[in-house]
Amino acid sequence: MKTKFNSDETKRIREGINEKYKRVAISPEGNFNYPTGRAGLEGQEYDSEVLRALPKDVLASYCGVGNPFSLGPINKDEAVLDIGCGTGVDTLVAAIMVGSEGQVTGIDLIPEMLKRARTNLEKTSLQNVTFQEGSAEQLPFPNGTFDVVISNGVFNLIPDKAKALREVFRVLKPSGRFLLADQILMGETPADTESMVKNWAG
Amino acid sequence: MLKEAGFADVEWVAETGFNSSPVTKGVLFRARKSAISDVERVEMEPKDPLSKYQEFFNEVYAEGAIDRKMKHLIALGASLAAGCDP
Repeated sequence: MKTKFNSDETKRIREGINEKYKRVAISPEGNFNYPTGRAGLEGQEYDSEVLRALPKDVLASYCGVGNPFSLGPINKDEAVLDIGCGTGVDTLVAAIMVGSEGQVTGIDLIPEMLKRARTNLEKTSLQNVTFQEGSAEQLPFPNGTFDVVISNGVFNLIPDKAKALREVFRVLKPSGRFLLADQILMGETPADTESMVKNWAG
Repeated sequence: MLKEAGFADVEWVAETGFNSSPVTKGVLFRARKSAISDVERVEMEPKDPLSKYQEFFNEVYAEGAIDRKMKHLIALGASLAAGCDP
């Protein structure tokens, strides 16, 4: 699959993603072919006790494609990074799991998403969460910062996936875990770059 | 791609059932970074092949059920018997 795009193609991919996810930041409803909000979280069997700890309208902003927490435990006191945190639901779930001594960081490219994530955070009493703008292809963290990196439905949107994965590897501590939920293409990759760029955000 | 990035254990765990289009599938992957970083692994490795031999030599002649001096005498006897130059 083509992973290198020229700067114009990358710019147009970014614009397509921005356009779609600005809408999603307001409400995910109607933007996806699978359940979102509380129905999505329950469909992916998120821990019901953790969900009870989060306000209803925070849960309503969820649009993940899977449950990264089903891939293994997140332990107390751990440092977690959520790449492409969106409205921050997974980030907040992780923050509950690591407890007050742990630290969770959510990064996203889209300012509207981060704004919603910060609004969601304000509706909780969690003190161990930071949201910041940043690209998965160039993570703004030193080597070996995190015990766990999670990501949910985001890597399929990244133009240079190989570079982003090397970045995940770099910021993980030794023995660090990467828990990934994502969409993968099952059929043929579109042969022409133009249709790939145009349909990138789906 | 995860292995190329350096991850040691990579598993495709399950499908999630949440598919964003007829040609894509929601999936779960788990990967782990090994306990020792590549830099540490290189640092732990002997710097040259001779040091590996030295490690073996030290291990063989270490004090044990037979003491170091006796081991050297046995080696001397064996090499004389075999006609080697000790």
